[in-house]
Amino acid sequence: MAPAADRDDNVLVRVENVVKYFPVKAGGFIRHTVGQVHAVDDVSLVVERGKTLGLVGETGSGKSTLARCVAGLIPVTSGKVFLDGTDITRLSRSAMRPLRRQVQMIFQDPYSSLNPRRRVGAIIGDPFSIHKTATGAERKRMVQELMERVGLNPEHFNRFPAEFSGGQRQRIGVARALALRPKLIICDEPVSALDVSIQAQVLNLLSDLQQEYGLSYLFIAHDLEVVRHVSDKVAVMYLGRIGEAAPADVLYTTPQHPYTVALLSAAPAADPDSAAARQRIILTGDVPSPIDPPAGCRFHPRCPKAQPICGVEEPPLVPHELRAGPAADGSPDAGASPTAADVPGGEAHVTACHFPVSPGESLVTAGAGAAGTAANGAGKGESA
Amino acid sequence: MTLLEVRDLNVSFPTADGVVRAVRGVSFDVEPGRTLGIVGESGSGKTVLTQTLLGLTPGAEVTGNALFEGADLLDLNEDELRRVRGARISVIFQDPLTSLHPLYKIGWQISEMIRAHDKSVSKSEAAARTVELLRRVGIPKAETRANDYPHQFSGGMRQRAMIAMALALEPRLIIADEPTTALDATVQAQILDLLLRLQEDLGTALIMITHDLGVVADIADDVLVMYAGRAAEKGPKRDIFYTPHHPYTKGLLESIPSSSAAGGRLKPIPGQPPSLINLPSGCKFHPRCGYVFDRCKEEEPVLRPISESGLHTSACWLPAASAGLSAEAEKVREETVQAERGDEPAPATAAGNEGSVA
Repeated sequence: MAPAADRDDNVLVRVENVVKYFPVKAGGFIRHTVGQVHAVDDVSLVVERGKTLGLVGETGSGKSTLARCVAGLIPVTSGKVFLDGTDITRLSRSAMRPLRRQVQMIFQDPYSSLNPRRRVGAIIGDPFSIHKTATGAERKRMVQELMERVGLNPEHFNRFPAEFSGGQRQRIGVARALALRPKLIICDEPVSALDVSIQAQVLNLLSDLQQEYGLSYLFIAHDLEVVRHVSDKVAVMYLGRIGEAAPADVLYTTPQHPYTVALLSAAPAADPDSAAARQRIILTGDVPSPIDPPAGCRFHPRCPKAQPICGVEEPPLVPHELRAGPAADGSPDAGASPTAADVPGGEAHVTACHFPVSPGESLVTAGAGAAGTAANGAGKGESA
Repeated sequence: MTLLEVRDLNVSFPTADGVVRAVRGVSFDVEPGRTLGIVGESGSGKTVLTQTLLGLTPGAEVTGNALFEGADLLDLNEDELRRVRGARISVIFQDPLTSLHPLYKIGWQISEMIRAHDKSVSKSEAAARTVELLRRVGIPKAETRANDYPHQFSGGMRQRAMIAMALALEPRLIIADEPTTALDATVQAQILDLLLRLQEDLGTALIMITHDLGVVADIADDVLVMYAGRAAEKGPKRDIFYTPHHPYTKGLLESIPSSSAAGGRLKPIPGQPPSLINLPSGCKFHPRCGYVFDRCKEEEPVLRPISESGLHTSACWLPAASAGLSAEAEKVREETVQAERGDEPAPATAAGNEGSVA
């Protein structure tokens, strides 16, 4: 039942055209659906074996929903999710169960994701009981091994979560995720609740574990530097769609989608001189509602490069050949026709934009809106 | 003339488990029109410090002085404080949804605050000023949006409304406590840009409390680094970022993933911050410090000048020459540690005990 492409041994997870809508209900007595939240809208991507795919995007971009679809925690509206060649979206509960061991999650908040009334040993040992892989003394031994591996004192087996600090609790979450030796760990903002000095400890632990066990990560975060640090490939989501995807270094050095460029310029770096020198692109307005996303390119109402066609035609996610220099004459860049290899998470650099940003092109223009104080003398008007 | 002069501020909270010593002997100045960034991790005392200035820490034992416009804020009674809060010093909190009343319209809440401080302003005048303020902070269609409830605003707009409220009475000082932490990157950029612009226009001084060194690099003039309730290092922004002296500041800067170190290993600060009830002896950072020697365990260092100008100060026993992230600075640190430790073998470096958890 596996498609030909999945004989490719490099791919662990293949997401094909996944759509997830949530109904919006109204009415008091007779509830009826009045709209759909387009949380994830036609997203395809791959996660390679032993590699990390970073997923960045702002609140409401659908990154966590996509992760839950990949984990099989919520049913998809349409589309397919292949795990090791098996489509998990069509499986029954019992057929799904053995596969669940292969995908684990680490959550953002180490305070609310651990039951405060259960002992740490029981929390980490749960996966063994649920999947009936170890009991009694053996279970305890395995739990203590895990605790040691993630940097916790195994003697703290009988303590409660409240007796641990935030960073240590996140280590408990990591140990629990690791228990069944999964192939994929989905990390949903695993370090954003932690202080900077502790965050680095957990990131180093995740990278050690990846090397030791050959884990694949789907790593979701809003901190772009963190994502760059851990990821091999990065995909940028905006309002339920992937706007751009590429190997991490390529994406960060030559971003093509205006949204990616704005996002990268918005993140403040801990370097006063670069902060002053950087031309921050101040996007106007807020992210539109995913209940009624804009027509055409979803980013066009906030895009400094938007042209009439952007509001009409949705740009495909394809590779673009761009050279440094002033932007072209204003005719849309159709991009190359996509091939099977151009799925986000692979080697290709794909962008869904009619007017991708050339290397060296500045998006900061004098007319970038009343808020554009950062726009001093930087724009040459080439992106008007 | 210095706008706010805080001297030797101590704040502690008696609890059932013992006395929580949240702030210990912190001094700093805020000049008119300038921005002081206060950086520190959770529990470093940065929020308690500023809330104490405004009398927002009931039950705390407070000593020290905080001179603001000729009066000591710590001596004011509740009525006098109320006249200062909001009018002369205003606060922007992290979570705008919990700082706005959910059942009153945004515009009403701002007008009410104007009228609470100045009874002579009529309702219609206050309403007009509110709309003007909302327009100033970039709320589109301010006349109609003033009649919205907080839940009808997005996170970024709520924070803009909070800023409008903070500006309403043209305060001399705004204290912004993690104002952008709950916001997305592009919205955070909008808000920081707005704060900078308003500060330029109005000449307001700003205290920016944050755990995000990027935000401080962006917006502050001076930086105060706090650790376990005490000032670890203080100085002009460039000094702190480029020639940090305190090993904690250095550790913070090095533990941030950055493009230069992409893919490599991060250098975390080992261990975790101490409990404020049971503080370690000597320098409070010594159990996590890679350059620790005997003196650090016995005597607590105080801020002393590092730079020639005397503006850059650090509370660490290492010599002033060891400031910076360069190889030479590292050499000075290693040599000092070696000399101080005497007969001990090779000094343990920060990298040596990385990742260990107490």
